[in-house]
Amino acid sequence: MIQLFKLKKNGETATKGTTKRSSAAQLRITKDINELNLPKTCTTKFDDPDDLLNFKITIAPDEGFYRGGKFTFSFRVGPNYPHEPPKVKCETPVYHPNIDLEGNVCLNILREDWKPVLTINSIVYGLQYLFLEPNPEDPLNKEAAEVLQSNKRIFEQNVQKAMRGGYVGSVYFDRCLK
Amino acid sequence: MSAEGIRSRQFSCLRKILERAGPVCHPDFEPSAEILNFISNDCKVLVIGAGGLGCELLKNLGLMGFRDIHVIDMDTIDLSNLNRQFLFRRKDIGKPKAEVAAEFINKRISGCNVKPHFCKIQDFDEDFYRQFSIVICGLDSIIARRWINAMLVSLLVYEEDILDQTSLIPLIDGGTEGFKGNARIILPGMTACIECTLDLFPPQVTYPLCTIASTPRLPEHCIEYVKLLQWPKENPFECSIDGDDPSHIGWIYEKSLERAACFSIRGVTYRLVQGVVKNIIPAVASTNAVIAATCVTEAFKLASSCCSTLNNYMVFNNVDGVYTYTYEAEKKDDCFVCSPFFRVKYMDLPHDGMKLNEFIEFLSGLQYQMKNPGIVAAFAERNRTLYMSGVPSIEEMTRDNLKKSLKELNIINGTKLIVTDVTRPTPLEIVIRFSEINN
Amino acid sequence: MDSNSPKSPEQSEKTKKYDRQLRLWGDHGQFALETAHVCLINATGLGTEILKSIILPGIGSFTVIDGGKVREDDISVNFFLDENDIGKSKAEAVTRFLLELNPDVHGDFIDESLQRIIENNPSFFNSFNVVVGTALSELEIILLSSKLWELKVPLLICRSYGFIGMARLQIKEHTIVESHPDNQNTSYRLLNPFPELKTYLESFDLDSLELKDLAHVPFVVILYKYLQEYRKLFGRIPKTYKEKETLRDLIRKGMKKDENGLPSAEENFEEAIKAVNYVLTSDEVPKEIVKLLTDDNCVNLTTKSTSFWIMANALKYFVEKEGYLPVRGVLPDMTAETKHYVKLQQIYRSQALRDSESVYRRVQQLLQQLNQSADSISEADVKEFCKFSHDLRIVRSSCISHEYLEKPFNSSYIVSNLDDPDSSMEYYVILRSIERFYSEYKEYPGNLDDHVEPDIVKLKACVSKLLSEIGSNSIIKDDLIHEFCRYGGVELHSVSSFLGGCIAQEVIKLLTHQFIPINNTIIYNAVSSDIVTFCL
Repeated sequence: MIQLFKLKKNGETATKGTTKRSSAAQLRITKDINELNLPKTCTTKFDDPDDLLNFKITIAPDEGFYRGGKFTFSFRVGPNYPHEPPKVKCETPVYHPNIDLEGNVCLNILREDWKPVLTINSIVYGLQYLFLEPNPEDPLNKEAAEVLQSNKRIFEQNVQKAMRGGYVGSVYFDRCLK
Repeated sequence: MSAEGIRSRQFSCLRKILERAGPVCHPDFEPSAEILNFISNDCKVLVIGAGGLGCELLKNLGLMGFRDIHVIDMDTIDLSNLNRQFLFRRKDIGKPKAEVAAEFINKRISGCNVKPHFCKIQDFDEDFYRQFSIVICGLDSIIARRWINAMLVSLLVYEEDILDQTSLIPLIDGGTEGFKGNARIILPGMTACIECTLDLFPPQVTYPLCTIASTPRLPEHCIEYVKLLQWPKENPFECSIDGDDPSHIGWIYEKSLERAACFSIRGVTYRLVQGVVKNIIPAVASTNAVIAATCVTEAFKLASSCCSTLNNYMVFNNVDGVYTYTYEAEKKDDCFVCSPFFRVKYMDLPHDGMKLNEFIEFLSGLQYQMKNPGIVAAFAERNRTLYMSGVPSIEEMTRDNLKKSLKELNIINGTKLIVTDVTRPTPLEIVIRFSEINN
Repeated sequence: MDSNSPKSPEQSEKTKKYDRQLRLWGDHGQFALETAHVCLINATGLGTEILKSIILPGIGSFTVIDGGKVREDDISVNFFLDENDIGKSKAEAVTRFLLELNPDVHGDFIDESLQRIIENNPSFFNSFNVVVGTALSELEIILLSSKLWELKVPLLICRSYGFIGMARLQIKEHTIVESHPDNQNTSYRLLNPFPELKTYLESFDLDSLELKDLAHVPFVVILYKYLQEYRKLFGRIPKTYKEKETLRDLIRKGMKKDENGLPSAEENFEEAIKAVNYVLTSDEVPKEIVKLLTDDNCVNLTTKSTSFWIMANALKYFVEKEGYLPVRGVLPDMTAETKHYVKLQQIYRSQALRDSESVYRRVQQLLQQLNQSADSISEADVKEFCKFSHDLRIVRSSCISHEYLEKPFNSSYIVSNLDDPDSSMEYYVILRSIERFYSEYKEYPGNLDDHVEPDIVKLKACVSKLLSEIGSNSIIKDDLIHEFCRYGGVELHSVSSFLGGCIAQEVIKLLTHQFIPINNTIIYNAVSSDIVTFCL
């Protein structure tokens, strides 16, 4: 047992040599970033290499419906990382059943299934998977999901149309081909 | 009668416990009048949070003989606090919690000196925290818990890897939710810390975004839809949601009702909307009393050594009868905050003319055997990323640093570096010391 | 409030103030609190801590009984006293400070001893919903316990003694409709669906559904289908672990395969597999409820029967007729498309309504037979009763004075617990012995520094005497007796505060008839920070 009474009664407290520590969130993100091991389809972009809490990751799928496109996601890591997941938004307008037109992304590990053991790397793999296997069963963009379910060919054409830049229905998409 | 005379009688109950020996007392316990003197005069306690737990903590400390108490709270008093935060009255609404609480205690318990701080814990530095003998938290924020935990760990002093116990400040932490609560003792560097057991904090309730967007079933799904998707899109008040603004809650309530009606979902109520938007955690006076009392009993044991302390985690629940369970939360070997791997280490380098790439070679050498270390310098103002080979965009932007000397990179005696590498479970924090400085 | 703000339901000041607790016990629980009157005997530190945690949430009114004057010692353990009160009436002093806690609460005090009140005004306690006594002497406990047992007023006696705390509940009978279990029981009725449910469940043809539609079928539909298939194959429902595994395999086989021939991990199928065990037993009437329905008070109604038992009797009639408890009508969330979920919810809800109407009709008949007014039990009461019928509870305790006065009826329970060195029953025996000690010597053992040693001998004698009355051969360690003498009868504020929180919550449970009270004695040990419960 620690004997506070004996230790502190003389008011002597060791003060020498302590250095301010970095926050646990800061340390953890530094480690996460240094150990990023991304597939070749992904690139990172740091506006400021000193700020590891805010950055962008671009995914350029090399197979599937979205081959040839380039999609940028913004990552914002908060002070409660990794207890809370980072906030991720898709900055490229995309015709996708699991990403809505405001850039919200429906990926389980970004919300309900997040755990502190997961890393930025796990999220990037999750995002990449969304482009390979868009999931029409649990859509955010209902129209896109319905088209994917009823006619894959039309869906593919719509994706192409959107990536080339243009309207799908009444919605305009910016060009995002490589 | 002198003021001192009144005080010395006041604690006759504590004196019996502290000045009488007994066969089942802790073997380290040496009863004497000195102990109460220590508690009253030398044992400085910091209470973080002057809310439901905080009010109780201050009262309990004052009546258990502690007199030198500080309290920090950044909040002001709200009407919904009055069902449990018993140091506050209607007339106090809007005033700082810490100030009102301190004034009340000082008035009611003569001799007690509570010093309030109406600010964030992050506003104080090491020197402030170092003055306390015990820190007790009554917080609802995980971020604040993690912060104070890391702060207390960083105050530890090691000599040749042996902890200098005079640098240790025990942290006692309480938390409640409805009729459930928990209390724990953390001896920084010695027992499991907040970061070791981050998993114990329940994650906030969240629902899959796609359920919210396409297959809502519960009233909560409808409210989350308005909060997460509809609000940012329509931005009705040109600002983000303020849960305390009735017009905001009113808007969300109406839109949630509309959405629920579309899907024939029942059960959207104003109270539920408030609860979901503000993430309200139910709270009652009784649970706060129980948990705060446990915290102060443990503080009293720590300060007096009169019996062994909680080892080290207690959960409480009184929905069905009254139930407690105590167990020892385990220290994590690779804890980011308190693991010995991770203690701030000193690294002696020959001279500050050393180039960054030479330094990296040194880290890759026999002593450290790192693969591709990422290096960040923690300067007081902000961190600076010196080099990271693994991330192409950063590598490119920091490549020029490789040829610079440490001196050119503003690294001086005492600069702290954060070094991460795949070979280490946790980042390494090192303080650089140069044997020689080139002028 | 901002005049431009959209109209939202008017929230009263009171709802705002009590918001954090209304989320736990509801407006009806709050109403029960606000109409209750609680009595505290002895304004100890423990006593005022208990009152604090029931005044803050808004108890209707309280009365403090204490014939003593404030001494200096009292001030250091009682937050509701200060220096200026020394020499004044303790009851009056604490009442003044306690009333400041909540302007909604009424409070008064009686500056008289308990004994005199019981002697002069035998029906005094009739008007209270709960009576709490702290630091009572043995004689007071006996007097109060017999009186309140006779009046059927719930009594909590409690004591804070050094590092040890004790509380005991005496209540003839306490009935609970809303017990708030951690896991609310939902009976899905898949083994024997009522007609509307059966029609709905069978309206699905899972085999013809496309993957996307299949993935949004509620798991109950899936589980029902494979249960039927299992029955067809084996002629009965699965009972053993192995049989349940067979059912789970059937469900797994029903999952659609993806391009690679692997079963696609559909959450609703997973939910169906997980629910197998639960669904197969959840339709049974729980043992606790069977016991309750065969209780004398349920079976033999009289003109004095309470609403609870009249409804229980009607429930019993329903269960005998239908073979099930009423459907709860609340459906937990599950993976499903909105329209399926809403429809299913509606089916369960309508059945719940039909079931509770049926119970209500029976209740009306019973009220007539018992010559009670038809509106003494409302349809809403019956609806609630049916909704929570899986989790109804009763608590009945023993009468404390019976244990104190006669050869204890529960002595074998105490004896067997004393034989177990980990049971903490010895703390109970010592606390009882201390009550004796106080009656005999008019002070607590070890009150004065130079009395500690001699008092150990005296307290040991009290302990031995009590043990022999109970019929126990156990020996209580001298060290433990010494420890209690060391305390010298002091109250430690943080120990009282812990206990005060616990007991306040017990009072709230008794008043709201929600949550489950202790049955019936707890010992709190602040050294080990644990609580044990004894059913004395």
